[in-house]
Amino acid sequence: MRRLDEVTAGEDLPEVRRLVTKEDIAAYAEASGDRNPLHLDDAFARSVGFPGVIAHGMFTMGHMSAAVVEWAGDPASVVEISAQFRAPVLPGDTITAGGRIRSVDSATRVAVVDTWVVIDGRDEWPVRKGSARVRLG
Amino acid sequence: MNAAAEGSTYPPVVVVVDPERVAAFRRLFGIVDGVPPTFATAAEFEALPQVLGDPALGLDFTRVVHGSQAYSYVRPFREGESLEARARIESIRHRGGAGFLTVVIDLVDVDGETVCVARSQLLERGPGA
Repeated sequence: MRRLDEVTAGEDLPEVRRLVTKEDIAAYAEASGDRNPLHLDDAFARSVGFPGVIAHGMFTMGHMSAAVVEWAGDPASVVEISAQFRAPVLPGDTITAGGRIRSVDSATRVAVVDTWVVIDGRDEWPVRKGSARVRLG
Repeated sequence: MNAAAEGSTYPPVVVVVDPERVAAFRRLFGIVDGVPPTFATAAEFEALPQVLGDPALGLDFTRVVHGSQAYSYVRPFREGESLEARARIESIRHRGGAGFLTVVIDLVDVDGETVCVARSQLLERGPGA
């Protein structure tokens, strides 16, 4: 668990990058139970206006939360996490999750973190405005 | 989407924090130990189909995209525990030809204590949008 005296408002979280594959998306569908064909069936995805299957918004948020957990040092210290989905992530995209400490409350020992996810090589933000609240030791 | 469905509540669904599915979440997101916070999604998905498929709501699922998601945790999930997922429709709004549906799912433990509150906003695009 990250300690209160280690955290300063304005500091950046280490970024976490990953390639997103069709296999990852299928594995996420299985683990989460969200088997919407938009994520599994290219023909269906094209019929509703996408170039092919897209990642679940919650897959992207899972990646975003991984950056928060890595920084926090313990998944149990995350007390709130939220994201607004702005752009679809496609298989073959490399996504980077990042964050910045917005504020630290020393009385409640909670840090508020602004978070985001970007796609390499494209000016698109799958998550432009995310946030998390993390308990500090 | 029928605005009169606002306020609907749904029967609780039992969800187990299944260690194998938890491990799958850890592998997918490179989290070493504990239960990844977004495992909540797997619990949520046990209760969501009855909401989204409710004929009284009349959602056209082919036009739905996930707008936003928020989880707040009272305590971390415990591997192997049973939870009840209690779903309700918090709000339905129509703006600019699109419909905005907010579903809240409370994940409650065997002692009746809330563990996590999940709030999903889904957007139903207008026909032809």
